[in-house]
Formats: sequence, C-alpha cells, structure tokens
Amino acid sequence: MADKSPVACVTCVSRGGVCDGKGIQTLKDGVWASNPISIQILGICSALAVTNRLENSLVMGVALIFVCVGSNLFVSLLRNVTPRRIRMIAEVAIIATFVIVFDQILKAYYWEMSKQLGPYVGLIITNCIVMGRAEAFALQNRPVVSMVDGLANGIGYAVVLAIIGFFRELAGTGGVAGFQILSLDWYVPNQLAVLAPGAFVALGFLIALFNWLSGANKEENEGSTP
Amino acid sequence: MNKKHSGYAILYAAVLGLVCALALTGVDRFTAERKAANAQAEEVRNVLGVLGVPFAAGASAAELLEVYESNVRDEERNGREFFVFDHPSAGELLATRFEGPGLWGPVEGFLCLRGDRETIYAVSFYRQEETPGLGGEISSDAFQDQFRGKKIATAAGAGIRVVADGADAPNEVDAIAGATMTSDKVQAMLNETIEEIVGANGRPARRGSHGG
Repeated sequence: MADKSPVACVTCVSRGGVCDGKGIQTLKDGVWASNPISIQILGICSALAVTNRLENSLVMGVALIFVCVGSNLFVSLLRNVTPRRIRMIAEVAIIATFVIVFDQILKAYYWEMSKQLGPYVGLIITNCIVMGRAEAFALQNRPVVSMVDGLANGIGYAVVLAIIGFFRELAGTGGVAGFQILSLDWYVPNQLAVLAPGAFVALGFLIALFNWLSGANKEENEGSTP
Repeated sequence: MNKKHSGYAILYAAVLGLVCALALTGVDRFTAERKAANAQAEEVRNVLGVLGVPFAAGASAAELLEVYESNVRDEERNGREFFVFDHPSAGELLATRFEGPGLWGPVEGFLCLRGDRETIYAVSFYRQEETPGLGGEISSDAFQDQFRGKKIATAAGAGIRVVADGADAPNEVDAIAGATMTSDKVQAMLNETIEEIVGANGRPARRGSHGG
C-alpha cells in the first residue's frame, strides 16, 4: 500500500470541502474512475471469495460501505491529534472496531448470512481498500468529504461484487436470489462458476470490460508520451 | 503535551484502545442474547435435521426450540447423550453426537439410529473444515445419504467401512475420490462411537476389520 499512490495525489491536491464540487468528484472517483477493484485491483481476495451468490455479495458490499464510511470519518476527525508514528496502528484499531461491530450485528440479526460469509467479514480488517482510503484520503481531508470518499469506494466495491455475484450465481445455478431465470430444461448449471476458478474468470472479464470502457484510450495516450 | 513526545503517543494509544474496547463491549452486551439464541437454534436445527423432525425452513430461534422441546427427548445411556424422537413412519429414532479429528480440523456430526439400534437412519456432518470440493464433500447430501439403511454391525463385528473399491456390504459406503485421508478419519470417528453404542447395547464390542 503505497503512501503516495497516483490516485492519492489526484484526490488530495485541493483541501476543499464537499461544497466546492469535491464531493461529487470524490464520489465519481471511488465508484468509477479509480474503482478500488476494477481499476486499482485492491481487495480482490474477498471479491473472489464471497461472490458465489448475489446475496452474499450485497451483504459484503454493505459491510465494506459501513466500515469505509465509519473508519474514514474517525480517522479524519482524529487526523490532527494522531501522532504520525503510530497513525497506522490507530487506523487499524478504528477499522477493526467497525468490522467487529458489523460482524457482531450480523451474527445477532442475520445468522444465516453470517454463517455463509464465514471469516470474510472479519477479514475486512485486512482489506486494502479500507486502510488505503484511511491513509490516502482521510488523513488529509475533512470528515464529511472523507465519509463521501469512504461511501464512494464502498459503493465501487459493492457494485463490482454485485455484478460478479449476479453472473456467477446465474451461471452456476440458472437463477438469482431465488428466481429461476434460465430454465433448467435446457440450461445445465455450470458448477465451475460458483467454485473458485469461476471467480477468477468472472473478475478477469469484469476488469477487462471496465478497462475497455474507461481506460483503453488513456493507456494509449500514456504509452505515447516518452 | 508535545505531539512528537513518546508519552503523547502512549497516552493516545491507551485512550484510543480504551474507547474502542468500550465500544466493542457495548455491542457485545447488546447482541449477546440474540447471538446465544442463534447458536442454540443452530444446535437444535442440526438435531432436528438428522432426526427428520419437520420444521419450517425459515423458523425463528424460538420456534425451533419449541419444535425441539415438543418432539425430542434427551436420554443418557452409559454416559452418552441420545436425542430420541418417535418418527411417524420410521418409528423410534436415536441420534447421538460424534466428533473426531478430520484432516484439517475437528469434525462433528450426528449419527442417528433406528429403534433396532443397528440400522442407520441418517448421518450428518455439521461441522468440518475439510478441503472444499474433496473432503468437504462429507457434508454433501450425496455422501451423507449413503449411510441411510446401513448396518452398524455385521457378523464380522461392529463398525462401518468407508471403502474406495465399491460399497456392496450392508456396512459399507463409498469413500470420496481424492479424499482418502478424510474418508479414513470419518470411518475412524464413526466406529469409535459405534463401538461405544454397540457395547452399551449389551453386545460384545468386537473390533472389525477397518480397512479401506
């Protein structure tokens, strides 16, 4: 996790608030232009692991949004009093607190889902996206815009997971979230889609698609400069 | 205090740690009751499942407990806990918990016998950490359903066998291809339990040939 990734530089130049258009820009960056999964290729471990069903993907997305918004808010609130030397430990403590809170709530109110997601909710603590945003954004920005940044990156993650989850569940079972879409009369569910290899293939296709839609021209331009 | 001072860092860490710990304690207290109920419901669901007691798919923790208490009775025999249920078609069923080491971690399950104490009604593995797709298949219906109707003891002695070369005897089930280690361990833990039960039935608990 580089302290000064190119993405961080782009978003951290101005110190403006939400009102001077930074909020919208931050939102766009997180969801699309520097989407944490498809563009930055961060946090793909959980993106591969829990996306065998749409429902799992959605809950995981909500978890990440919750953690990202919460941790960004508190890291930002404390940014002026946190000693620089121990800032990372402080960030992890804040992130871990939010993750455990979400995990406990899931265990209490959504037991079935908690069982299905297994250790992956707890592993959000180690998700590069969360700490990446705390380090690269929340430490330099005001609380509200930091929350927007957390929200944007959480949504960016959730949307990608939902897309992968949708197609894996569809290919693997012929239906999504309990609705049979492809008739089993002629469609043979492809078990591979819900197993690990299916995750790699689906994510690969999705990243290729995102790059094709957004980054192809940019890359060509970058390639032509000396 | 100077922000660069080590004392400040220690104080900051202590305060942050305390606040986080308090927050987590609060959430734990707040959710403790529901979490305990869910864990209990999970237990009950496993017992009901292996005994074939009907219950609604989306039953709440309280509903499951009610179904359990009105259908299943606990009995202790020779220090082993049995869950007994009078099945409307299969007659009296007795389920008992078994556990043992798997290849990667502990495996736990239920062995459910019919009233004759010899015929297996069902076997379920409700906790396992075996290799997904290989040993992990022990909790698949395909593997578990093989046990239905098998005998836990034959003339040769007590014990079931998980075999690789085609199950044909009434005490044999097919092993999982590519998961010999898990299959062997499953056989061992089942037989340990079976021998205890057969012994408790008043028969000599002889050691069968546990090959495969």
